[in-house]
Amino acid sequence: MALMQIAEPGQSPVPHQEKRAVGIDLGTTNSLVATVRGGRADVLPDADGSVMLPSVVNYSDTSGALVGARALAMASEHPEDTLVSVKRFMGRGRADAQRDAQRSHYRLGDSESGMVSFVTSSGDVSPVQASAEILAVLRERARETLGGDIDGAVITVPAYFDEAQRQATKDAATLAGLRVLRLLNEPTAAAVAYGLDAGEEGVIAVYDLGGGTFDISILRLHRGVFEVLATGGDTALGGDDFDAAIVAWVVDELNLASLRPGQHRGLQAAARHAKERLSGAESAVLPVDKIVPGAGDLTLTREGFEALIQPLVKRTLRACRRCLRDAQVEEVDDVVMVGGSTRVPLVREVVADFFQREPLTDIDPDKVVAIGAAIQADILAGNRPEGDLLLLDVIPLSLGLETMGGLVEKIVPRNTTIPVARAQEFTTFKDGQTALALHIVQGERELAADSRSLARFELRGIPPMVAGAARIKVVFEVDADGLLHVSAREETTGAQSSVTVKPSFGLSDEQITDMLQTSFSHAQEDKQARQLAEQRLDAQQLLEGLDAALADDAAELLSQAECEALHQKMRELRDAAAGDDVEQIRRLTESLGRASEAFAARRMDKSIKQALAGVSLEELDKEISE
Amino acid sequence: MPSRNFSQNYFELFDLPVQFAVDTAVLGRRYRQLQQELHPDRYAAAAAHEQRMAVQYSAFVNEAYATLRTPLKRALYLLELSGMTQQEVSRQQLDGGFLIEQMELREKLETLHDLVDPDTVLDHLVTEISGDIGTHQAEFAAAFEQSELQAAASACVKMQYLEKLLLEAEQIESELMER
Repeated sequence: MALMQIAEPGQSPVPHQEKRAVGIDLGTTNSLVATVRGGRADVLPDADGSVMLPSVVNYSDTSGALVGARALAMASEHPEDTLVSVKRFMGRGRADAQRDAQRSHYRLGDSESGMVSFVTSSGDVSPVQASAEILAVLRERARETLGGDIDGAVITVPAYFDEAQRQATKDAATLAGLRVLRLLNEPTAAAVAYGLDAGEEGVIAVYDLGGGTFDISILRLHRGVFEVLATGGDTALGGDDFDAAIVAWVVDELNLASLRPGQHRGLQAAARHAKERLSGAESAVLPVDKIVPGAGDLTLTREGFEALIQPLVKRTLRACRRCLRDAQVEEVDDVVMVGGSTRVPLVREVVADFFQREPLTDIDPDKVVAIGAAIQADILAGNRPEGDLLLLDVIPLSLGLETMGGLVEKIVPRNTTIPVARAQEFTTFKDGQTALALHIVQGERELAADSRSLARFELRGIPPMVAGAARIKVVFEVDADGLLHVSAREETTGAQSSVTVKPSFGLSDEQITDMLQTSFSHAQEDKQARQLAEQRLDAQQLLEGLDAALADDAAELLSQAECEALHQKMRELRDAAAGDDVEQIRRLTESLGRASEAFAARRMDKSIKQALAGVSLEELDKEISE
Repeated sequence: MPSRNFSQNYFELFDLPVQFAVDTAVLGRRYRQLQQELHPDRYAAAAAHEQRMAVQYSAFVNEAYATLRTPLKRALYLLELSGMTQQEVSRQQLDGGFLIEQMELREKLETLHDLVDPDTVLDHLVTEISGDIGTHQAEFAAAFEQSELQAAASACVKMQYLEKLLLEAEQIESELMER
């Protein structure tokens, strides 16, 4: 890790440098990395010139994992050691994943946490670890291309990913040594890629059918603001299902009773090739005989293929209909197609017919998400002039609490714009009740038992009162990454409790730290040095931010004394950051942060006033021109 | 950390008059303008405490926008500003005529499943309910302007009933689509 540069007290901070920020599309079938260079966003190729990294990890060799094409080549020979479509298992419980695991011929490990892991020749591997291997390869590719460590990454997730799946993705990035600037919804990323190119205004639908997931989002673009109006989809529907439908057809046609895992994988590959050929050709031959000797080959016509996938494509339209209604729009101005599976002609026809618009396909549907993510990363890293683009995203699934009788009380309904903070009051059910158990759930179902369970925690220390007298305020806060924090407080006594929601089968912070220490890229890195570097980074960020803020607003918003007090604390922190006492840097950073809060609040208030003043002028202009 | 703007009411935040009628185009423009300044993405490179504050401000602006944008939420919020609690609003007595109409509408919705061509009937019902909601919105606006809070609250509860019915109609519509 590069040493942090810290300016001498009194000197101006180092001139602003372009940060190395990347966008990563961590896909079910393929993954890509992109960055903005010289004002242009583009995907980065590997040494052989290919931009798509197959999202496949092989663990046959106990000395290290193989990733990408080389891993894919091992799939038939070592099906149990070769993890494909691992994204389907991210953040899912063991029971939940069983069905998919059987289809893919994985052996699931037994884990006390209830989290999924696969048994391989190199030991148990979690989906998070496998994803981290993929991310690490992309990080390395970017590091080599850009000539230095990556400062931050925007990683895309399906809009329909739930809390657990998002957290798992973030964990994988941390494990791969990446600093996550933002988790970005894939359709939103695609809209950014298109919107910036065309300077669009209006309502657009993004139809994203990838290998394993389907997403639909409706957005409104207005003067550089992308407002997601609604989003929906299906986390278990994609091109893989098209392949599976072909395999099921082959098995049925040829009466193939028992297949070995390797043969099954072989058939899947043959099905995928046939599907891809059928995008252009009228028929394709499936070389089954090579995979299952004596079975003979089969020919699949495009018509036959379309009949097989028709029900799956129809399922996507149901989600589209609901999304349009949620967005409260009648029609859209444009439809953007994302994901390799939108190359299937039937998909394009059906979508064009549904939206009454010819879909846009100018940007390669495989690259468009990574490109959008790179643009957002560039903005978040501070490489662009302010104000040129803003994303206002929503939560895809309702968040709520289990109440009496196992019913769900929704606190934050789906498609609420984030960040969001919502409070709701509850009360006790029995006389003298001193604790309240809170069960946080996600989803649209009415019964808690049918919903996704996110976390449970207890509020204790409620003074004994008659039933219904206690006033317990529960606050749900969702940040800009779509991650949830819940707190509860008894209003009369102030008894308080809170939880940052981590799914019960996610990784604990300790687990991540342990893994980081034993994992590939960080084995040599000392924990202490890492903590010091991170703490210094925090300190530097705070100091740089304050330097800039003071230069802008100190004269206007601070008294002489307030200004001097801040400078004093800043000097203390600068001195501390030059040393190596982690605890002291942490304490002083914290202290300076608190001391500057009032200043920050005044600056925000000023922004609000300015923003509205700007609007008034703009409205005046409009009136004059009208 | 209490701040001046958190105690502002939502109308003040967007510099709009405290009344039921809202120019949604102006509201939307001002909302986007505020988020351009306050959204946490604008503070991605800032210190952690400034980011936290941006999250709070941005969430406050989102909440204000969501409240003022939706007529029912806006009506409830106006009553709240006038000192009426949610419990007081929901305790409003409704006239018998309205309740009977409600029951009739609900019965019509429930028989949709048995019809050969439910879509036309459903469309018709949705139009009827939406029209009723519009009527009660106008009632609310007039009553609120005259400071007749009881009458305003009563119109508000009727809007609530009808919105719920509309949701049920949508639910039935999606069930019909899937069969």
